[in-house]
Amino acid sequence: MERERFGNYTRPPTVKRFSAFNAVVFLFSTLKDGRTNMEDDIPVVEMRNIKKSFGGVHALRGVDLLLHKNEVLGLVGDNAAGKSTLMKVLSGAYIPDEGEILIDGKKVYFTSPWDARQHGIEMVYQDLALANNLDVVANVFMGREVASVKLGPIKVMNEHYMEQETRRLLKRLKIDIPSVRLKVANLSGGQRQAVAIARATAFNARVIILDEPTAALSVAAISKLLDLVRELKAQGTSIIIISHRLEDIYQVCDRMMVLRHGRKVCDTPVVGDIDSFREKVVAYMIGARDDFAEKGGVESNDESR
Amino acid sequence: MKADKFEESSSRAGDKIFGLNISEWGMYIALLVTMIFFAVATNGIFVSPRNIDDLIKQTGYTAVLAIGMTLVIIIQKIDLSVGYLSGFLGAVAATAMVSWHWSAYTSILLVLVLGILAGLLTAFLIAKLDVPAFVATLGGWLGYRGALQLVTRSRGTIIIPNDTFNAIGNAYIPDIPGIRIFPGVHKLTLILGILSILFFILNEIRNRKKNQVYNIKTMSIHLFIIRLILLSLLIGGVTWVFASYRGLSWTAVIVLIVFLVYNFIMSRTTLGRHIYAVGGNPQAAELSGISVKKIIYVVFGSMGMLAALAGILFASRFKSATTTAGTLLEMDAITAAFIGGTSPYGGVGKVTGSIIGAFLMTSLTNGMNLMGVDISFQYIVRAIVLVVAVIFDIATHKREK
Repeated sequence: MERERFGNYTRPPTVKRFSAFNAVVFLFSTLKDGRTNMEDDIPVVEMRNIKKSFGGVHALRGVDLLLHKNEVLGLVGDNAAGKSTLMKVLSGAYIPDEGEILIDGKKVYFTSPWDARQHGIEMVYQDLALANNLDVVANVFMGREVASVKLGPIKVMNEHYMEQETRRLLKRLKIDIPSVRLKVANLSGGQRQAVAIARATAFNARVIILDEPTAALSVAAISKLLDLVRELKAQGTSIIIISHRLEDIYQVCDRMMVLRHGRKVCDTPVVGDIDSFREKVVAYMIGARDDFAEKGGVESNDESR
Repeated sequence: MKADKFEESSSRAGDKIFGLNISEWGMYIALLVTMIFFAVATNGIFVSPRNIDDLIKQTGYTAVLAIGMTLVIIIQKIDLSVGYLSGFLGAVAATAMVSWHWSAYTSILLVLVLGILAGLLTAFLIAKLDVPAFVATLGGWLGYRGALQLVTRSRGTIIIPNDTFNAIGNAYIPDIPGIRIFPGVHKLTLILGILSILFFILNEIRNRKKNQVYNIKTMSIHLFIIRLILLSLLIGGVTWVFASYRGLSWTAVIVLIVFLVYNFIMSRTTLGRHIYAVGGNPQAAELSGISVKKIIYVVFGSMGMLAALAGILFASRFKSATTTAGTLLEMDAITAAFIGGTSPYGGVGKVTGSIIGAFLMTSLTNGMNLMGVDISFQYIVRAIVLVVAVIFDIATHKREK
């Protein structure tokens, strides 16, 4: 059914069609093709030794994170492992106690989500992203309305332009919504999530952070959302996904990171079959394995082969 | 299954008839039914030009407050202080003119500035000190009541002798002198009415063309023409009622200007969009770079200014400031906003609706007074209207979902 929906548009030639069969092969090939480039490339995001405490609780105890251009990174961990805290640091919602953030190799200091957004980093929150009382256009352009006339503080909105741009955006991302003038309250959970993501990409975000994007979605909506993630990747965006659903991580991510008690315990490409992948991740999550136990621990990449 | 649901929701969104959705139609129909009922029950006295004119002057201050209150309720707040604030500011204006011998204009300016400051003070309590709006404005309710009594303590009722000031609530716009045709008809009012019909029609046609250029769905040409004719007739009818009496009252002019300005801001400007966004989801708005605090300052500042304006209209209409001026006006404003379709949960509401709501409530009072209905029953009737309106509104919104 999704195929029918998307069938109206021809996919750009660079996009490869995914299926359960060739996913693994594809991931391998991208990694191998990409490897040499990636090492020359400056990572889009580099977080070094990020520490953050709340009172006496050490939420993050020195976490490093690398995100390359065009990469989908999965962030996994048990509750209170520090995933959300780490992403809130990256998106500017929290200011870290220690550590540094580099965007395109340049040091940055975020004091608010707005700062992070100026650097092209957008976080899509689970429930906080949209205003249900407004239509899709208003939500996509929320806080960035396009004005046609400005009279001091009074800015008259250019509704027609915003409407067209929204349509164009949804079409580009192959998001199917009956009318951009529908109130978000009238959309399904999956459509809402898609609008939230579209909104994040609308202004040339280069890094999109998805916080539990599939948590509240039906099976059909999940597969549609994963298609959207692939579409974004194909169009050159880097993505970080926080998810409890290891299947999702397995399906779309190039690489994954496991956090445990505020530390990184695993950083490895997504390879192998789903069962061994799941087994491995769970082992890291419960603390049975730890690649970074001592300083200068073994690089996970080598171990996973 | 999913696909069916999408289509259903899209057709629901297209349920608009003549550009209004069901709950908005409900309100207009309620107003129409009320007016017809009172017209019949009072043998036409209710719809006589004189009474309609009176009705509008009575609605004036409630309508102005209701407009401000709509914005306040949209951002999920409430303001209980505006009734006594307007009473207090009316008394300040009276004192300025009577005791300090200020002119009407400077007194009005002073009061408007004080109103804005009072609103900003409320906003400061809410935005900066995190006092819940209900509590902060309950404080205002008590405080301004005290302030009103303080100002009026020495002389009780302050009679305002200033004709310029009193004209606001009682007089009419001047007519063009020297035109012989149509004796007994207010020519300037007639001309304004015709101009507004022309402006309305041209604006509608322009919007329609623009929408067609952008491939946005427009209503069919037949419906469009019917809508144009009906609304033009409505404007024409109202114009005729005023013109055949004594012309447009200054109160009507002021309410009209406030309405047009606020309607424009709420529907067409970035500021209005931000107010709705804050009402719908404050966290999302904040994350999108909209300062929720700034919106609170703007909305309460405007509420304070409108409270001052209501105080001026009120004092001017009664040519005096009394110790009880403004009592319960805040409740009238809140009621008008709710009847006009403003959602008690925030995020939803239109200035147009609140004006209609205010007009409906005043019509009820006025009509029942003409019929000689006992005041105790009047309150009960108004209570029923309020609750039924909100139930209807919630039901239609549920249906939309």
